[in-house]
Amino acid sequence: MSRAKALVVLVPAALALFAGVAIASSTSVTITTPKEGQTFSKKRVPQLPVTGGVTFAAANQNTSLFYVRRNGCGTSSDNPHLSISTGTDAGSGCGSLINGVVGAGGDADAGAFVDYATADGMPLSLDTSRNVTGTFDIQGFIGPGQAGVMEADVSLEALVDGQGVEIGSVTEMVVLDPTASDNLVDFTITPNAGLDQKDLSGIDLRLHLHGPYAFSGFVATNGLSFVNVPSYTASTHKGVLLSLDDPTFASPIPVAINSAGDGWSVVIPTPAVGKHTLYVQSVQGFDASSVVARHFTVDK
Amino acid sequence: MTKHLIRAALVGAMVTAAALFVATTRAGAEHDGMRHPIYMPNVNNIGNPALQPPPICCLPGSPFAAGVPVPPNMGYYGGHVQVTPKVYLVFWGWGQAGAFDHTTPGAPTDDPDGAAQRMTNFVKAMGGTDWAGVQTQYYETDNGQNVYIQNPTNQFGGAWYDDTNPIHDNVTGLELAQEAQRAVAHFGVTDLHSSQFIIAQPQKYDEEGFNSGAGYCAWHDYTQQQYYPGVQEGISFTNMPYVLNSGTSCGQNSVNTGFYAGRLDGFSIVLGHEIEETVTDPGAEDVINGVNLGGWYDQSAWENGDKCAWVGYTDGITAPSTVPGGLNNITGNDGKKYPVQSLWSNDAAGGTGYCAGAGNDLPG
Repeated sequence: MSRAKALVVLVPAALALFAGVAIASSTSVTITTPKEGQTFSKKRVPQLPVTGGVTFAAANQNTSLFYVRRNGCGTSSDNPHLSISTGTDAGSGCGSLINGVVGAGGDADAGAFVDYATADGMPLSLDTSRNVTGTFDIQGFIGPGQAGVMEADVSLEALVDGQGVEIGSVTEMVVLDPTASDNLVDFTITPNAGLDQKDLSGIDLRLHLHGPYAFSGFVATNGLSFVNVPSYTASTHKGVLLSLDDPTFASPIPVAINSAGDGWSVVIPTPAVGKHTLYVQSVQGFDASSVVARHFTVDK
Repeated sequence: MTKHLIRAALVGAMVTAAALFVATTRAGAEHDGMRHPIYMPNVNNIGNPALQPPPICCLPGSPFAAGVPVPPNMGYYGGHVQVTPKVYLVFWGWGQAGAFDHTTPGAPTDDPDGAAQRMTNFVKAMGGTDWAGVQTQYYETDNGQNVYIQNPTNQFGGAWYDDTNPIHDNVTGLELAQEAQRAVAHFGVTDLHSSQFIIAQPQKYDEEGFNSGAGYCAWHDYTQQQYYPGVQEGISFTNMPYVLNSGTSCGQNSVNTGFYAGRLDGFSIVLGHEIEETVTDPGAEDVINGVNLGGWYDQSAWENGDKCAWVGYTDGITAPSTVPGGLNNITGNDGKKYPVQSLWSNDAAGGTGYCAGAGNDLPG
């Protein structure tokens, strides 16, 4: 299957997902031929070339930075989440660790974890050729008076086509220093290659702290804890939908996009004698252009 | 079939006596103010006395044991069952302004979490599964003949996104019943006996009791004039609030652990509970003018879903699927996984009965 055809196959599903959603678009489309109001003879023009122009946002490699944030602590507004914006968090001070030390070889683990799901910054096109990196800043650590090992299980999950899919996970070992104001847990996750260039609707970062010397403390917010997700500046999934006499695009006609990515074309059988309308729309990931209509007439 | 006939004879003898007893005693309790829908308590309210089924007169209820199967077996109380179930989904007001407080890229604005899609997929996929097949041991008696519940592949009646009739927050049970009646007309349903209507509410407009923290996730009921005045009689319907609002109390992540992977678990667990209770007891234990409309439930009035609700639930410490009869994923007829609770099977455990159908039944 050619790349153009593959894209066209993907597009109807994406269009169906955001049916009814009005969004500002970074992609646009035009119809060059036929001209508005043009008339064709079905006998002399049995095949009708349809062409146009299209623009898409550039899909360059990018890194999406999400801050670990929390608006409240133990209140109804307690909402651990990820945001592309940072600021002062009333929730800094949440996230007590285990309150237990079992010493070397043991594992104080209450099974507790905290999910930080994205509240903004979505959608995102994932680039799995690079690793996810980040840092959790553990503050207020009150240990047993000595340095000890804690384990941080960090996992990243994506929402893809309405389903939860694991991006990757890692367990980082960190030596906690009870005399330090900040203990940094740096993590690196190799992402699931099967998700490369997928358009993600959401991301969840889960942190589970345990280990021989896990004790009380909290995950600092206020910009101190964060995750860097390798991404593209726009979706790499691009397509142009063409429909004859059906503004709902229920059965779009496959079109080819040129190698420069700025034009499209297809040849369709000239339709029956009468007045007709062509509808065209470009899509890029979850983004869609306005629908452009072109009227023409077919006579004998 | 032989097994069915033998058990039918035994159960029939017991139930005939019980039904006579119930019909003559509970009839007097019809207007005692104790009647209410059949609730599905949330995880934190399994033993809440206010949420137990209305008492069957004069028989003491079993002690409650949270999150474990509840014996004894169910009996047949003489009402109808849904022999060829059809489930109609009504997404009331999901497209109305203010129905949700968020959007999700790539998802429709009237279903930003994918809950409506999940429920629709589940209802389409549950037909023909072993889980729904638990029901085929139960029956109704018509003119002396036992007619068994069937498990057809297609039990999906249709879906209606009703954005025409306005919803509001804290809708009442009566308003839900009225919406169910509108759904009957919308779908053109003529066979009410085997049809049920799920009135699913969006995130911000839910039923008053659910919102108040009464402690349930959903309930099902049957329209009768004295309980739903002005509403067509004989409609089996479910109050299906947006259970994600109750988080883990109503099933979120109770089977699948990923934040997104398990976020919608409660929708199929709770919906499945209500659907299958309605299949086996569409009359919702009503006794009208001395006639028992109830189908199958036990002597404490627990239906097949109640008896297995939240079995295996362990606050996420261990997987519920490791417990026989525990919450688990089943494979739908579309090949996809759906988390459900098990259903009470009188046939299980050599006829003693147990929770079954969720893929982790007792051996044998």
